[in-house]
Amino acid sequence: MELGLIAIGAGLAVGLTGIGAGWAEKDVGAAAVGAMTEDASLFGKGMILMVLPETIVIFGLVVAILAVFVLGA
Amino acid sequence: MSLPELMSRVVIVGSRAHLEKAVEALYETETLHLIDYINGSDDGFSIGRPLKGSQEASERLLRIRAAEKELGINTKKSKINPVPVKDIRAQISAGKVDEVEKEVFAAADERNSLVQRVSDLEFVHKNLGLLSRLPLDLEFYSGYDSIKAFVGTFKTDPSEDLLKLENAEVFIAGGKKEVPVAAVFIKASEADKASSMLSDLGYVEIPVPEGSGSPKAMEEAVAAEIAGIRARLEEIGKKMAELSERHEAFLAASDEELSIKVEKGGIPLRIATSEYSFVIDGWIPAAQVESVKAELEAKLAGAAYVEFQESRGRNQHESDEAEPRFKTAPSKMKNGNMVSKFEFPTKLVSTPKYNELDPSILMAVFLPFFFGFMVGDAAYALPFIILGLYGIRNAKSKEFRAIGTVLFFGGIWTFIFGFFFFGEMLGMHFVGNNPLAPGEMSVNWQYLLNIESYPEWFISIIPNDGHGIGKLHDVTFLLKVSVYMGIVHLMIAYIIGFYNSFIQHGFRSALHHKGGWILVLVGLVMVCFALTELLFYSKPMEGTLLTIVAVGAVVLLAGVVLAWPAEKAQVILEMPGIVGNILSYTRLAAIGMSKAGMALAFNYMSIIMIGSGGDIVSYIAGFLIFLIGHLMIWVLAILSAGLHSLRLQFVEAMNKFFVGGGKDYEPLMVKRKNTKVVETEV
Repeated sequence: MELGLIAIGAGLAVGLTGIGAGWAEKDVGAAAVGAMTEDASLFGKGMILMVLPETIVIFGLVVAILAVFVLGA
Repeated sequence: MSLPELMSRVVIVGSRAHLEKAVEALYETETLHLIDYINGSDDGFSIGRPLKGSQEASERLLRIRAAEKELGINTKKSKINPVPVKDIRAQISAGKVDEVEKEVFAAADERNSLVQRVSDLEFVHKNLGLLSRLPLDLEFYSGYDSIKAFVGTFKTDPSEDLLKLENAEVFIAGGKKEVPVAAVFIKASEADKASSMLSDLGYVEIPVPEGSGSPKAMEEAVAAEIAGIRARLEEIGKKMAELSERHEAFLAASDEELSIKVEKGGIPLRIATSEYSFVIDGWIPAAQVESVKAELEAKLAGAAYVEFQESRGRNQHESDEAEPRFKTAPSKMKNGNMVSKFEFPTKLVSTPKYNELDPSILMAVFLPFFFGFMVGDAAYALPFIILGLYGIRNAKSKEFRAIGTVLFFGGIWTFIFGFFFFGEMLGMHFVGNNPLAPGEMSVNWQYLLNIESYPEWFISIIPNDGHGIGKLHDVTFLLKVSVYMGIVHLMIAYIIGFYNSFIQHGFRSALHHKGGWILVLVGLVMVCFALTELLFYSKPMEGTLLTIVAVGAVVLLAGVVLAWPAEKAQVILEMPGIVGNILSYTRLAAIGMSKAGMALAFNYMSIIMIGSGGDIVSYIAGFLIFLIGHLMIWVLAILSAGLHSLRLQFVEAMNKFFVGGGKDYEPLMVKRKNTKVVETEV
C-alpha cells in the first residue's frame, strides 16, 4: 500500500513538473524560433532561454528518484 | 585556457596617389583588421571615394550574377579547375562579359517569351475545349447589333433557369461529371436582367478567341502550335545547358575576381582621406607588428608609413578610455587544431570579448565527456566514432566539421564509459548476475552468448566484479557522481570568472564579484552534503558531520560577507539558484537511466520473442524490434545527450563567467576558390 502511494507520488512529481516545464517552454520556444528566423546567429542565446525552464522537470525527476529509491527502499 | 591574441593598433599614412598600392599591400599581409573611419572624427578628413575601376567592376559583377542566375549556376558549389588570375583578367578586359551576357540572354529571353506564349496558348486551348462542347462555330459568338451573347461556365446545372428566359436562344452542354457550359443569345434590351440572373448561377465568362470555323478544329491547331513551341523550348533548354557547361568556369572565376576587385575598391569608403593623403587605422596581432611593418614598408617603399600606436592591454579601463572607434579590439581566438573545432559551439553563444578567457577548451573537454557519460554504451559508441571521423574528414562546412568533432570525441568517451564504467553493450551488461541485485531478470551477454566465464583480466577492468555500474540499479551512486561532476564543473566556471574579473578590473574587484561566489559555492556544498546525510540516511548530527556543517556555515558566511559590497542582497537570493545549478547536473544520470530503461524494454521484448520457440514470424519480429528499438535509442541519444551536454555548458557553466559580445578578428584578405594566382605573375 505504502509503496503504491510512493509510486503515485513519484509519478506526479515527474508528470506535473513535465507539464510545468512544457508550458513554460512553449512560449519561450515560439519566441526563440521567431527570433532565429530573423537572425540565425541567435541560436545559442535562443537555446539558453529555451532550456531554462526545463530544470523544473529535472527537479521533479530527482524528487521522483529519491522517493522511489530512498523512501521505497 | 587562453585569452584571445594580444592586439596592437597601427596607423598607416601615405599619399593618396599610392592608395591603391597600399590597399594591395595590406591584402597581401593578411593581418590587418581595418577600423572603420567615422566621418567627422577629425578635421580635414572624410571617407574616400572608391578606387578607380571598381564602379565598372561592380556593374560587370551584376551582369555576371544575372547570367549565372539564368543558367542556374551556383558559384559556391561549382567544381571547376581554378583559372589563373592573369587569364581571367585578360578575358574580362577583352569584353568577354558582354559576349557571354549577350549569348546567355539571347537564349534566356527567347525561352522566357516562349514560356509566356505557351501559357497564353494553354489558356486559349482550355477555353476552346469548353466551347467545342457547344454546337456553334466561332463566328456566331460575335458581330451582332441588337443581340447580346453570353458564353461561359456555371457552378451548377443552369438549364432550368436559362430555359425560362424570354426573347433568348439558349445552348447548353451539361454532363454529370463535367462543368456545365452554356451560350445565351438575348435581346440587347434585356441583357442587364439576364446578366444579374447569370451571376446568381455562378456564371464565369469564357473569352471567345477570334476566328471562324468549328472550335474543335481550332483547338487542334492550337494544340499543334503548343507542341511546336514545347519542342523549341526543349532545344533552348539543351542550348542553355550547353552554355552553362561552356561558360561555368568563366562565370565562376570572373564572379570571384570581380567580387575581390569590388571589395578592394570599396576600402577607401572605410578609411580617412584628405585632399592629398590617406590614413588607415587597424589592428594587427601584437606578435606580428614588427614583421608586418617591415613587410609593408618594403613593399610600399616610401609611399606610405606604418606607425605603431598602442598594444591594447586586458584591463577594462584601457578600453573604456579609448576613442569610441578604438574601444573594442577584435578577438582572435588562439586555440590548437583540435580545440579550434570547438570554437563553433562557443560562437553559437557569442564571440569572447578581447579581455576574457575563451571557453572553447572547456567545451572541448566537458562537451564530449558529458555526452559520453549520458550515452555510456560500448556499442552505440562505434557509429558515433565512425560518423564523427567521416564528418571531420569530409564535411565541407565548418558547422558540420564541428559537429563531427563533437561526435568523434563524444563517441570515444561513450566507449570509455560504456565499457570500463558501465560494462554495457546495447543496453546489456557483459557479465551476468548483478551482485547488487540478485535474481534480477535483466538479460546479459554472458547468458545470451552462453559464456562460461570471462578471463580474469576482463573482470578486473570493469567495476563491480566485471558487472559494471548498473544504470538502473546504482541510481543513488550515479546521481551522486553527477552532482560531484557538476560541483567540479561549476567550480571551474567560477574560477574562470574570477580570473576574467581579475584581469579586467583587478584583484579587489575580482574578490568581491567572484571570490565571494566561490566561497558561497563551497559553503553550500558542505552544508547541503551534511543535510542530505541527515535527512536521507538519518545519520546523527555529530562528529565529522557536525564539523562539516560548522565549517560549511562559516565559509558560506564568509562568502556572503565578501560578495556583499558588490552584489548586495543578490548573494542571498541567488543561493537556491546555485543549488538548482548543481542539481541540474543530475540530468547526466537521469538521461543515462532513461536510455537504459528503453534498451531494457526492447531487449526484453525481442529476446522473449526470439527465445519463445521456432516460429519464424516471431523470430523476425523479435529481430526487427531489437534493430528498430536500438536505432531509435541511438538517434535519441544524439538529440538528448547532445543538447543536454551543450546546455550544461551554456547555461550552468558559461553564465558564471562568459560575457561575450566580442568582435571577430577579420583581417583584410582574399580567399580564392575558382581562381588562382600563378607565382610568375603579379
